[in-house]
Amino acid sequence: MLKKLKQSKTKIITVLFSLLLASFILVLITCVVTHTTLPALITSIASEEIQFAIKLSLTTAVVSTVLCIGISIPAAYALARYDFFGKSVVNTILDAPLALPPLVAGVGLLILFGTTSFGRGLADAGLVFVFTPLGIIIAQFFVNVPFMFRILRGTFQSINPRYEHVAETLGCTEAQAFWRVTLPMSKNGLLAGSIITWSKGIGEFGAALMVAGATRMKTETLPISLFLNMSCGELDLAIAAATILITISLISLFVFERYGGFTRVF
Amino acid sequence: MIRIENLSKDLGEFFLRDVSLEINDGEYFMVLGPTGAGKTILLETIAGIYRADSGRIFLDEQDITDIPPRERNIGMVYQDYTLFPFLTVEENIGFGLKSRKVSKREIKRRVDELANLMDVSHLLHRYPGTLSGGEQQRIAIARALIMEPKVLLLDEPLSALDTQTAERLRQELKNVHSITNTTIIHVTHSFEEAFLLGSRMAVMDKGEIVQVGTPNEVFRKPESEFAAEFLGVGNLFQGESSIRAGFALINVDGINLASTTLKSGNVHVSIRPEDILVSTEKIVSSARNSFKGKIASIVDAGTILKIAVDVGIDVPFVVAITKQSFDDMNLKTGGKVYITFKASAVHVF
Repeated sequence: MLKKLKQSKTKIITVLFSLLLASFILVLITCVVTHTTLPALITSIASEEIQFAIKLSLTTAVVSTVLCIGISIPAAYALARYDFFGKSVVNTILDAPLALPPLVAGVGLLILFGTTSFGRGLADAGLVFVFTPLGIIIAQFFVNVPFMFRILRGTFQSINPRYEHVAETLGCTEAQAFWRVTLPMSKNGLLAGSIITWSKGIGEFGAALMVAGATRMKTETLPISLFLNMSCGELDLAIAAATILITISLISLFVFERYGGFTRVF
Repeated sequence: MIRIENLSKDLGEFFLRDVSLEINDGEYFMVLGPTGAGKTILLETIAGIYRADSGRIFLDEQDITDIPPRERNIGMVYQDYTLFPFLTVEENIGFGLKSRKVSKREIKRRVDELANLMDVSHLLHRYPGTLSGGEQQRIAIARALIMEPKVLLLDEPLSALDTQTAERLRQELKNVHSITNTTIIHVTHSFEEAFLLGSRMAVMDKGEIVQVGTPNEVFRKPESEFAAEFLGVGNLFQGESSIRAGFALINVDGINLASTTLKSGNVHVSIRPEDILVSTEKIVSSARNSFKGKIASIVDAGTILKIAVDVGIDVPFVVAITKQSFDDMNLKTGGKVYITFKASAVHVF
C-alpha cells in the first residue's frame, strides 16, 4: 500500500514536470504568434521584404539540402559498407560540425572563402561566397550536412548487404545494385534526412550571418530578417518572420515524425 | 561442371582454406557443416560476391575466378529470402530479366512460367512483407531460376522455416531439380536434409572440406572424428516401415525397430548413441526396443566410450556410455550385452 502510494507520488511529480515544460514551450510560441494582430500579420507577410526573405530562405534551403543529399549518399555509403584506412577518424571528423558553434563555423567559412587563394580562385571563377546568397547556401550546407550524413549512414547500415549481393547475381553491376535496390530501400531515411536538413537550413542564422552578412533585400533570409527588424524596432515584420519560421518548423516536425520518426538521428 | 581448385578466402570471422571440389552437371550437391564452418562464404565466393584470395574456380572449363557475379550466371538464394520489399512478387521474380533488358512481354511470360513451377501464381501482386516464410522462399527460388542459371546456390534455404513447411519445400526442391536439371549446391547444417536431397555431399569444418562422397559413404564411414561427431553417426539404418497398433515397426535387415514416428514405406532411421541403454542382463522396462548382441569394439573417446554392439545385422549399433559405467560394468570386447531404447528415441525420416 505504502509502495503504491509512493509510486503514484513519483508519477504525479514527474507528470507535473512534463506538463510544466510543455506549457512553457506553448506559452512561448503563443507569445510570438499573438504579439501582433492578424491584419497586421497579413500585411507584413505580404510586404516586399518578407516575401523576399521567404523566397530566399526556401531556395537556399532547397539548394543546400540537395547538396547535402548529393554528397552524403556516397560518403555515408562508403562509411556504412567499406573498411578503409583512417575510417574512424573520418567518421569523427564528419560528425564534428554538429558540435561546432555555427558562429565558429561561419568564421571558418569566411576565412576559407574570403582570404585564402582557394577562395579567391573561386571568386575569380565567378563563385563569390562572401556576402552573397551563395554564402548562405554553403553555410547551411556545412552546418547541416552531418545530420543528412548520419541519417543516411544509419539507413545504409541497416540494409543487409545481401540484398545487393543477390541483385548482382541477378545481372546488376555494383552501381546498378545500389541504384535499383539499396536506394529504394533507403527511401524513408532519405525523406527524413531531407526534411530535417531542409528545415534546419531554413532556420540557419549564425554561420550564414558570418559568411553572407545581413544585408536587407540581398542576403535577408527569414532568420536574418527577424534579426534585422528586431534591431531597428520593426516589430510587425519581425513577428511575421518569426511566425513563418514557427509554422515551417511545426510542419516539418510533423512530417518527420509521421514518415521518418523511426530513423535514429543520433 | 564446376571445379574449385585450392580456394582460399579470409574474411576475419569466416574463412575458407584450400577448398577443392568438383561438382558435375545436373548434380544435387550438399555441403554440410556446423555454424561458422565457412559454408556461406564458400557459396558467396562461388557466386563472385567475394573475390578469392587464392585458388581458381572453373565453370564449364571457363575460369570465372575474376569475373563479376553478373557475368557468371550463378543464382543465389539466402536463408532469409532477401526479397526486395519495395517490389511486388511479380517484379521480384522478373528483376533479373529486367537487368538483361528482356522485353516486357517476354518477362511476363517467363514470370508466369516460374510462378507456376514454384506454385506462387496467386501471389504475384502481393508485396513480400505480407507473405509467409515458405511463400517468400519459393519466390526467392523462382527469382533465381528465371535466369536459367548454370548453377543454383542455396544457403540453408529451409532453416528459417517450420518443420512442416520445410518438409514440403524440400520435396519441391527435389521436383524442381528433376524438372530443370539445374546443378544445385545446397548448404545445410541438417544431416537429414543432406541425406534426403544430395546425390553427393561435402562435409565442411573450420573453413576446410573434411570429406566428400555420397551421403551413404559419408554417414557410414566418416573420415574424421569431426565428421563422425557432427553427423551423430553410429546408428543410421534404412528399412521398410509399417504401422501397427500405434507404432511404426521398421524392418531393418530382419530385426524390427519400434518408433513413435508414424511414417510408413521406405524410410531412414537414426538413433542417438546416447539414447541407448546397455546392460549385461536382459532388463524389463517400458522401452519398446531391446536386442541381444555382443560387443564388437570399444572406442575410448575421452569422458565417454563408444561401444559397437553387433546384434546380427549389417552394421553394429553404437552406444555411448560414461567411463564410470564402463568400469563398473566390466565390459569387454566379445562380451554378451543387451541394448535397450525407447520407441521415441527412434527417429524416422
